[in-house]
Amino acid sequence: MQTLKNIEHDRMTGLKVLVIGGGVGGIRAALDLAESRRNVILIDTSYSIGGLMTRLDRTFPTNNCDLCTISPHLSENSRQVYLDLMPMTRLDGLTGEAGQFKATLLTEPRYIDMEKCTACGECYKQFPEAVRFTPGLDPRAPTCMRYPQATPYAFSIDMDKVTDIKALQKVCKADAILPRDRQQTATVDVASVVLSMGAELFGPAVLDHFGGGRFDNVVTTLEYERIMSASGPFQGDLVRVSDKKRPKKVAWIQCVGSRGINKGDVPYCSSACCMISLKEAMVTKERFAESIETTIFYMDMRTFGKDYELYLNRAKNDYGIRMIRSRPHSIVEEARTKNLSITYALEEETLQKTEEFDMVVLSVGLRVPESSVDLARRIGVDLNPHDFIRADHFNPVVTSRPGVYVCGVAQSPKDIPETMVQASAAAGMAASNLPAAADLPETELDFIPEKDISGQAPRIGVFICDCGVEIGGVVDVGKMVEFSKAQPQVVVAKAVGYGCSSESMLLIEEAIKTQDLNRVVIGGCSPRTHETKFQDLLRRAGLNKYLVEIVNLRDQNTWAHMNQPKEALDKAFQLLSAGISGVAKNRPLMDQALPMSQNALVIGGGVTGMTAALQLADQGVKVYLVEKNSSLGGLAKSIRRTIEGEDVGLFMAQLADQVSAHKNIMVLTDTIIVDHSGVPGRFKTGLQTGLRMNYMQVDHGVTIFAVGALPNRPDAYGLGIHQGIVTQLELDAVIEDQPEKIKAMSQIVMIQCAGSREPENPNCSRICCQAAVKNALRMKTLNPDLEIFILYRDIRTYGFYEDYYRQARNMGVQFIRFSLDNKPEVWIENDRISVFTEDGILNRKIQFEPDCLALSTGMKADDETTEDLAMMFHLPRTEDHFFLEDHVKLRPVDMSVRGIFIAGTARSPKTIPESITEAHAAACRAQALLAKKEINLGAAVAKVDGTKCAACLICVRACPFSIPFINEDGYSQIDPAKCRGCGVCAAECPAKAIQLLAYEDDQIMAKVDGLFGGLN
Amino acid sequence: MKNFEPEIVAFCCHYCAYTAADMAGSKRLSYPPNVKIIRVPCTGKVDALHMMRAFEKGADGVYVAGCLEGDCHFKNGNTRAGQRVAYVQKILEDLGIEPQRLEMIMMSAGMGERFVRTAFEFTEKIRELGPCPVKPIKK
Repeated sequence: MQTLKNIEHDRMTGLKVLVIGGGVGGIRAALDLAESRRNVILIDTSYSIGGLMTRLDRTFPTNNCDLCTISPHLSENSRQVYLDLMPMTRLDGLTGEAGQFKATLLTEPRYIDMEKCTACGECYKQFPEAVRFTPGLDPRAPTCMRYPQATPYAFSIDMDKVTDIKALQKVCKADAILPRDRQQTATVDVASVVLSMGAELFGPAVLDHFGGGRFDNVVTTLEYERIMSASGPFQGDLVRVSDKKRPKKVAWIQCVGSRGINKGDVPYCSSACCMISLKEAMVTKERFAESIETTIFYMDMRTFGKDYELYLNRAKNDYGIRMIRSRPHSIVEEARTKNLSITYALEEETLQKTEEFDMVVLSVGLRVPESSVDLARRIGVDLNPHDFIRADHFNPVVTSRPGVYVCGVAQSPKDIPETMVQASAAAGMAASNLPAAADLPETELDFIPEKDISGQAPRIGVFICDCGVEIGGVVDVGKMVEFSKAQPQVVVAKAVGYGCSSESMLLIEEAIKTQDLNRVVIGGCSPRTHETKFQDLLRRAGLNKYLVEIVNLRDQNTWAHMNQPKEALDKAFQLLSAGISGVAKNRPLMDQALPMSQNALVIGGGVTGMTAALQLADQGVKVYLVEKNSSLGGLAKSIRRTIEGEDVGLFMAQLADQVSAHKNIMVLTDTIIVDHSGVPGRFKTGLQTGLRMNYMQVDHGVTIFAVGALPNRPDAYGLGIHQGIVTQLELDAVIEDQPEKIKAMSQIVMIQCAGSREPENPNCSRICCQAAVKNALRMKTLNPDLEIFILYRDIRTYGFYEDYYRQARNMGVQFIRFSLDNKPEVWIENDRISVFTEDGILNRKIQFEPDCLALSTGMKADDETTEDLAMMFHLPRTEDHFFLEDHVKLRPVDMSVRGIFIAGTARSPKTIPESITEAHAAACRAQALLAKKEINLGAAVAKVDGTKCAACLICVRACPFSIPFINEDGYSQIDPAKCRGCGVCAAECPAKAIQLLAYEDDQIMAKVDGLFGGLN
Repeated sequence: MKNFEPEIVAFCCHYCAYTAADMAGSKRLSYPPNVKIIRVPCTGKVDALHMMRAFEKGADGVYVAGCLEGDCHFKNGNTRAGQRVAYVQKILEDLGIEPQRLEMIMMSAGMGERFVRTAFEFTEKIRELGPCPVKPIKK
C-alpha cells in the first residue's frame, strides 16, 4: 500500500522504548514516543489493545464515547514506522541497566496469520466455541473482538476449544489459520521501559451481604457500562438481566471493596468511581428515560478533578439524581420480582431504613492484578503496601529501578485525564535515556502517487456511519443512503457502521479504488476530530486529501436533536446534500510547510515551569524561562513538607540550581510578556526584562504555560482579623519553624472548603483535604495531646491519601461534617476565637474555643495573568479563569493553538508531584512537535488571480497581518508561507480576484445551494 | 405563523461557534433543527455574496457566528464580519427585506449553552417575522 523509506534505519540500532500495556495510558505513551520519532514496542497480553477504556460506554465529563476520539490515533500511518505493536505478549525478564536493557518477550500463539487475516468473521460464525470468551454479561456468542474499532483487526483462536482443525482451516478463505503456531521468545535491546499495565476491577462476588454475585439485577459499574453500550449484550438497551425489562429505580452503591477494612476490602480510595457513578446515573436519565429514578449511596462525594464539582452540581440540580450519604448494610433479593431491597442507616437517624430498587449497581474499585505483582517482582521494581508500583514522591512516574517508568493505574488509582498526563510524562522520561531528539536522522514517509483528476467529472462516494446508536439510533441510515444515491454525481453510497473502524476504512479505501471515485463524503461525527483520519485514508487510496468532506451528522444533528427524529432526518438530508454539492467543487491542494524554530518559551518559573524547562533543555532544546518575580520558585517555595514528609524547600533549591546552571536555559526573572505574534512553529514573543524593563524578542517553536495559581484568601471565617486564624499554608510554616508553638496549644480547629465549593467559587480546590490531614498528622506527632477537630463537607483524600486520613482518625483527629446551608460560624470575643458548628450525629450546635483556627482555603486562578496571556495568545479559559485545555479527557496538556501547552496549577489546582508530572507531560508533547522539524500550515491560503486584480489595495489594507503587496507586474501578491488563511482579503476583494483555497466562493455557494437543493 | 418552520443558515467560525455547536451536541443540549451550519475558517471570510445567496436560495434567516471581541484568531476577522453584516442589513432593507433576518453573533468555543440559546432566540425571531419575501416558490 505504501513504501517507507529508511523503515529499517534504526530498527537495528537498539534505541527503543518498551511500553507494557495497551490501555489508554500505554497507547498515549507509545504514540508520544513515536511522534517524537523514537522507536517503540508496545506489548499487551490481550489479543487487541485498548484496555479498560474500550469497555466503557461513555466517559465523563463530556458523556462522549471517547473511544471515537482516541481510535483515530491508533491507526495513523506515519506512526507505524516507529511503533511496533505486539499483542498477546508479556515481558519475561529484564537485565542490564537504563539505556541498555535486554528484555525477553514471550508471545503466545494466536493461530492466525495477521498478515493474511482480513477479519471477515467466517471462522467465528462457524465455530463460535473456538474463539475466546469475553468475560462479563455478554450472553451472545463470545467474540474476540471486544469493540468494533479493535486494533489489530484480526481474530484469534482458542486452540483448546477447537475440535476439528481441518474444518476450521477450510472455512478461512484467506488461508490465515496456523494450527502449528507456537509460543515465541524474543530478546530485544531497549533503552527504557514504561509500565502501564493498568488494573482490574474488584470482583464483588466475595461480598455475601451484597448477594455474592448471585443476584441477576446486581451488576458492577463496568457491567452497567456494557449493558448501556451499543456493542454490549443488549445492543445498547438498558434492561434488567432477569426479565429484560427497563428498570424504574436504579441505585448505585459507592466504595464497594474500597475504603474499607472488612473482608475483601482494600483501604485506599479508587479515585474515579464517584465520577463514574454520577456519569452512569446522568446517562441513564439522558438516554433512556427522565423518569428512571437514580439514587447514589456514598460516603464522601469525591469530585476533586477539574470542573468535576460542576458536574456533581449538574447531576444533583439539573438531573435530579438523589444522593444518600450512607454505606448500605446489605442487599436482599425478592425471590419473585427479583427486585432488590437495600438496608441502610442515615447518620442523623437511629433507625435503619429499607428501600426497594429494580437494579443495583456496585461501584467497584481498582485492584492490582496478580500478573502485575509478578511482573514487578520479576523485573525488580518495588511495590507500595497496596501492591501498586512504588513511585518517587516528587516524580510519580519514576520507579525504584532506574530506566523503568510507570504511568496510569499501575501507579495509583486515577481517571483517564490523569492517566494521559502520566503517560506523556513517562514517555518524556523514557526518551531521556535515548540520544537527544535533535540528533535523530530524518525518516520520510511516501504514499502512492496522487491520481491526477484534472478534467474528470466528479465521481462522488458517500459513506454514512451509524456510530453504534449515536447516529443510527436517531435517524434511519438506510434512508440517508438512498437519499445520497439519488444526488447528482454520486456514484456510490453506503452505510459503513463505525466509519472510523479499520474494517470500514478498508471498505471505503477499496470503494475509492474499484469505483474510481475522485470525491468522498463521510457522514459521521465532527470534522474537528476525524477530518485528519479520513484525509489520511484518501492519501492511502491515491487521492489528494482535500477531496473529502465530512458531514457532521452526529455532534450537530443526532446528538442535538435526539428527541426530534423526524426533523433530524430532514436536517441530515439537507446537510448531506450540502456536503455532496460542496465536495464536487473541491480541488486537489498542496500543504504549506515551514521549518520550525527549535526554541521553547516557558512562562512561569515555579516548580512546573522549572521542571518543564529542564526536561526540554536536557533534550537539546534552547529554553527561555520567564518569571515575573525576582526569583524562581513560585508557590511551591512557600510549602515546607509534602504529606509523605519530604522537604520541599530542599527539593526546590536543588531544582532552581539545576535550572540556573543549565547551558540550554536562559532564565529571565523580573520579566513580563508584552506582545506575541507569529504562527505555530514560528512564534515571536516580546518581553520586558529586568529592573529597567528592557525590551527583547524571542523566537520559539513551542510555548509552555506554567503560570501557576494564587493561594486563595477569601474574606471568610475571620481570616485576617485575628492572628490565631490562619490558612493551611501559614500553619505549615508554623509547624516547621516554630514547633514550640504547636506544643503549647491544647486545641485546634480546621475548616475545609473555605472559599471553595461555594456559589462564588464553585470548584473544589483538590489539595486542601490532604493538606489538612498532613498538618494534623504533623501536629499530632509534635503534640500527641493536642485536640484537633476538622470540620468538613466531604473528605476527598483520593487514592493513597486515604491511608493518611485513616491514620489521622486512628491518632484521634476528630472529623465533623457540616453542610453548605449550615456552615460553621466564627466569633471573636476578648481576643478568643469561638467556632460554632452543627453536629449532625448529636443533632445540636457545639462550640469550640481553639488556640488556632486553620482554614483550608485552597487555590484560585491568577485571573489577571491568565486574562492578559489569554488575550495575547488567543487562548480559551474556564469560567473560573484557569486555562482551558484542548480536550479535557484525551489532550489534557495541549491547548487549542498548536504548539502551546499547559501544565500545573494554571490548568487546575493540584499538588506538587502532580504539577511535576504535568510539566514532564507538557515537555514531552512539546518535544514531540519540535521533533517534526517542520510545521504543516495546511493548504488554506489566499491566492490571487492577477488577471482580475485591479491593484486597488483593499486586500493590502484588509489583511490583519500585512501580507499582500503589489508586485512588479502590478497586481497583488500573497506569500503562501506567510498567509494565515483567514480569508478576510478574499471576502473584501471587490473584483473577486482573491480566493481562499479550500474555502473558495464556489465551494461555499455550492454548500448553500446544496442546503436548499431539495426545497427548490 | 405558529406552524411556520423557518430555514436558517449559520455561518460558523471553526475556532469558536462551530466548536461551541459540537460542544452543545456532546452535552446533548437541544436547539431548533432549523439551524444548519456552514463551517468557515473565520467569519471574516463570510462574503456579502454568501449571505445574499442564502436568502436567494430559500433561507428565512441567516446568522454569522464568530469569536468574542478581541478573541479572533486572525486579530479582527470577527469585527470585519460584523461590519459586513451591518452593510448587508442595509442592502436587505433597501430591498424591502427585514434587516433583522441577518445577524452577527459572538461566542467562544466553550459556550455550548450560548450557542443553544442564540439558536433558540434567532429561530423564534424569524418564526415571528414569517417566511422571507424573496423565498423561491416551493414545489
